[in-house]
Amino acid sequence: MDSATVYVLAAAVLFGVGVHGLIVSVHLMRKLFAINIMGSAIFILLVATSAPISGQTDPIPQALVLTGIVIAVSATAFGLALMVRMCQETGNASLAVEDEPENDD
Amino acid sequence: MTGLALDLLIIASLIGLAIQAINGASLFRGIIHFVVLGLAMSLAWARLDAPDLAMAEAAIGAGVTGALMMIAYRRLIEIRPDHDNATRTPRSRLALPIALASGVLVGVIGLAAIQAEPLPGQAGIAVLETLESTGLGNPVTGVLLLFRGFDTLLEITVLLAALLSAQAVTRQDDLDRSLTTEDPDTPLIGALLAIVVPLTVLISVHLLKAGSQETGGAFQAGAVLAACGVLLALTGRLASSRDYSPLLNGGLLVGLVSFILIGLAPLLYGQPLMALPGVWAVYFIESAMMISIALTLVLLFAGAASLKRRSRG
Repeated sequence: MDSATVYVLAAAVLFGVGVHGLIVSVHLMRKLFAINIMGSAIFILLVATSAPISGQTDPIPQALVLTGIVIAVSATAFGLALMVRMCQETGNASLAVEDEPENDD
Repeated sequence: MTGLALDLLIIASLIGLAIQAINGASLFRGIIHFVVLGLAMSLAWARLDAPDLAMAEAAIGAGVTGALMMIAYRRLIEIRPDHDNATRTPRSRLALPIALASGVLVGVIGLAAIQAEPLPGQAGIAVLETLESTGLGNPVTGVLLLFRGFDTLLEITVLLAALLSAQAVTRQDDLDRSLTTEDPDTPLIGALLAIVVPLTVLISVHLLKAGSQETGGAFQAGAVLAACGVLLALTGRLASSRDYSPLLNGGLLVGLVSFILIGLAPLLYGQPLMALPGVWAVYFIESAMMISIALTLVLLFAGAASLKRRSRG
């Protein structure tokens, strides 16, 4: 098994972990972790699947991923600002879950 | 064989850290796991022969994102000190099947992409062939500024939009609050800053200059410079402010504006849009972007409209 295949499989697992976390976590910051992990999985996929060009790595996916990393941090920063504001307004940064009122305290 | 073992080790830690970050007992530990995950990601980039990404991930993915998450966590704790306890996860029957299906989907796409024959007219080949004539040595910087300049232009626009949106949702009455609670005037902090600040500035300028020929670039340099600003904010040298500062706003805009102006200029000479006139233009735009990126990230961290130097004593 070569390095690219290993990293593709890792990206698949990471993406699954991210999707699972996005669904089950109640706290908004954990949802942000999950979204970032899904993003990282796709970044790994993009770079790992790019074919090397005469021994060098293809610079285009790398540049795209570099752009993606900066966009991810921008989106995360905005998400965190929204979360803090929500906590200020409601006193809670978790999404309330139906049938489980104790989550709201 | 050693390489494969190393890959498997990195991947195991990536997956383990991801699971811990999402499902770990306390939110604060989740943040720590997430930051370490960023560092493991940067090892993965190094293994995938992408040193530019390794550096960007360490500085932006792990460093800046971690700082942003920790300051947000601190604000949550200030609002509600028992915050960490409210993190019980509910049961969901559909979560596991959906996660499995999406993981398999990504895996199938990736394996199919590896099997596929590369197209003869692959853009990367054109980049590597024409790079020498441009005077740049780092193909990633070449793609970012010369070949796909629009991406980078839109990217710093997104960064600016994120800052404006974050400021729009941040409560105005919180802006005056200081970021530091400890007494910031101990001699140790002064000595620390006297060493770390010049060193950080030196490293970021080096990254910027190196970016045209080898690993580095405006984004990595901007993130390192932003770390310097975060340090100054945490040690009380910079304070949040509400006052309009022309210098600061100019710094926020200089990257975007200079990129647009230099990108438009070729139209005057009948050249295509964004055809940068030479390596000097790359250096100029990257320097301007470094300043804008650093200021934007520091303001996002401070959650403030503006910053002022705090008078001491």
